[in-house]
Amino acid sequence: MRWICALIQKDLLQTYRDKLSLLFTFLLPVVFTMFFGFLFGGVEGSSLPVAVVNQDPSGGTAAQLLKILENSDVVMLVQYDAKEAERAVADNRVAAALIIPRGFSSNTSSQETTSVNIVRNPESSGGRTACSAVRQAVGRVNGGRLAAQTALAALFPGIDPTDDPQRWSRALNAANAAMAKPALSIDLQSSGARAGEIPRGFDMSSPGMLINWILFGLLGSAITMVIERQNGALRRLLTTRVRPWQIIAGKGGAMITMTLAQQVVLIGLGQFAFGVHYLRSPGALALTMITLSVMSAALGLMLATLLRSEAALIAALVIVSMVLAALGGAWFPLEVTGPTFAAIGHLSPAAWVLDALRAIILRGWSVGQILPYLGAAWGYTVVFLGIALWRFRFE
Amino acid sequence: MGFIEADNLRKQFDPPRGVIAVDGVSFAIEAGEIYSLLGPNGAGKTTVISILSCLLRPTEGDARVGGNSVVHQAAAVKSLIGMVPQDIALYMDLSARENLVFWGKMYGMVGAELNRRVDEVLELIDLKDRQRERVDKYSGGMKRRVNIGVALLHRPQALYLDEPTVGIDPQSRRAILDAILEFRNQGMTILYTTHYMAEAQELSDRIGIMDHGRMIAEGTHEELVRIVGEDAHVQLSVDRNLEALMNVWPTLDGVGTVSAENGKITLLVHDATSTLPYLFETAQREGARITEISVMEPNLEMVFLHLTGRALRD
Ligand SMILES: Nc1ncnc2c1ncn2[C@@H]1O[C@H](COP(=O)(O)OP(=O)(O)O)[C@@H](O)[C@H]1O
Ligand SMILES: [Mg+2]
Repeated sequence: MRWICALIQKDLLQTYRDKLSLLFTFLLPVVFTMFFGFLFGGVEGSSLPVAVVNQDPSGGTAAQLLKILENSDVVMLVQYDAKEAERAVADNRVAAALIIPRGFSSNTSSQETTSVNIVRNPESSGGRTACSAVRQAVGRVNGGRLAAQTALAALFPGIDPTDDPQRWSRALNAANAAMAKPALSIDLQSSGARAGEIPRGFDMSSPGMLINWILFGLLGSAITMVIERQNGALRRLLTTRVRPWQIIAGKGGAMITMTLAQQVVLIGLGQFAFGVHYLRSPGALALTMITLSVMSAALGLMLATLLRSEAALIAALVIVSMVLAALGGAWFPLEVTGPTFAAIGHLSPAAWVLDALRAIILRGWSVGQILPYLGAAWGYTVVFLGIALWRFRFE
Repeated sequence: MGFIEADNLRKQFDPPRGVIAVDGVSFAIEAGEIYSLLGPNGAGKTTVISILSCLLRPTEGDARVGGNSVVHQAAAVKSLIGMVPQDIALYMDLSARENLVFWGKMYGMVGAELNRRVDEVLELIDLKDRQRERVDKYSGGMKRRVNIGVALLHRPQALYLDEPTVGIDPQSRRAILDAILEFRNQGMTILYTTHYMAEAQELSDRIGIMDHGRMIAEGTHEELVRIVGEDAHVQLSVDRNLEALMNVWPTLDGVGTVSAENGKITLLVHDATSTLPYLFETAQREGARITEISVMEPNLEMVFLHLTGRALRD
């Protein structure tokens, strides 16, 4: 172990000296995460942004409706004024706009029918989803009112239920409280991603770019290995007391260490700066990170074994990581490409790790639930490592 | 019994059809001796060193270092030897000190002992002042010195150096040769390879001349030179009366055979210094002038030429 640690330490020192590989490991992935995050819309995770124009700011009913919507994880409310809201819908910056007209609350207190306005883009599936969320919330507000009205009408026949405001508000509160714990409920179990089905914003770009750039975390170690072989240092190691397997383990160890460090930084930023919910299932996350690092190290060892020059290695790393990442859905969700391409995409080991990461972010899956995905990744790991060990040469 | 003994070493790469790089080489190096393998590129010197360092397994034969077989007791052999490869096998983006510390760890050294030894080696290779600079900032000679320093870390009893002076300036070369003589004086056994005749001559207690994987001659410098005799070769041209001189010169005292080729005359003489004046005198007497003359004392170059029919330098 002492030997392996010394070998890892040496590689890390060399990587630290190589500013270019640090740039590729940490800075570019962050830049690309932001770029793709904004490209895929929505700054805020996977809930749909909905513009709210509240022209009835003091009304109780309006407040109740907004409260229900705020608690929903399907939509996220953003305050706008009337003019801006329509433009935001037209520009697809929000899924829909909800306009609560002046006097909304006092009208609903009387017996008249009043309404809210929804503006949406008819082609957008997000707009439909947002609409149905608003409809649901309105339904709950209506339900509470009807229950209170019916109860008061039964108890005090012939009297307008809103005549005694105190009694009315007590009845309304009781009805709303009861509505919060309904006797009959629907448990919605979704098999795909939550809400809009397809990951958006940083939920899409953060894990995607993590996968896309992970191979660059081992660039330093891989380049060192090619140079070590060229100038005879690898061979010279064999004249010392270190054993061949320890040399290979040291290389792999350095690659795993670097990619883990890279993941901690990028996932930390994802969680705390971009609001991606990596920490919903910490155990599953840790296992996925280890899987990804070990798989990348195996792939890196294989490439550094097969390629004999620095230039060839760098080219291969760039091409391999871009192709595997794109194919695996790191750039755009495989869900939008249809089942055939999604199946082809899963030839890429990146697709399986990405599935695991998204299941953690969007659904909070546990270790047991993501194991099948990770199993596929370990299968690839064994193949990469097998080829690396088979072809490994010290000179 | 030698400290290093090679017994009928043979190495064929990629048998059965590959190159036979070493073909039945045997030699022995006494403890505390500098032994040089001299030969042109491709002679098999590096292959021999690799076998003696346990990096290559001989196809046939075996070698012993301090009584340990390089084939069967590799770990014991490795602890006795320090190997300086032909290439600069270092980490260019690390400093001399960082390199030495890393390689020291690879030899199993740790902590204060490692640090002390690194300081000592930096002193030995005279790089104490610039130990914190990256190796890729060093001159060729300094890189070579670090390359040697790495092999000294674990205090080996024998040091192998594979062409350690290739591509450096005369001053650095001088420093390295002096250091090697100093290591020998401190009791180290040294195996040195080179294709520079002068280095082998100056440095070595004994020399083995290799060509095409074979040991073609072996001995001290004096012993080897005796192969071509003790006569100096005098080569000259004259402007006229070549025939007449060809008849006169063989009769002079101290002159052996005389031959002419393409207008150039070659004489074997016992003692060039005393014979040269007579050559000029007789030429003048025949009405001829010596237009060009060179004297070659017997050396390893001539030995190689004599044994192989080729010049040592390509
Ligand atoms: N790894 C190898 N595979 C095949 N042939 C080799 C290998 N190493 C050396 N040779 C061949 O063996 C011969 C001796 O090489 P080498 O020992 O390096 O000579 P030297 O060190 O005297 O220049 C050369 O013909 C060389 O091409
Ligand atoms: Mg050589």
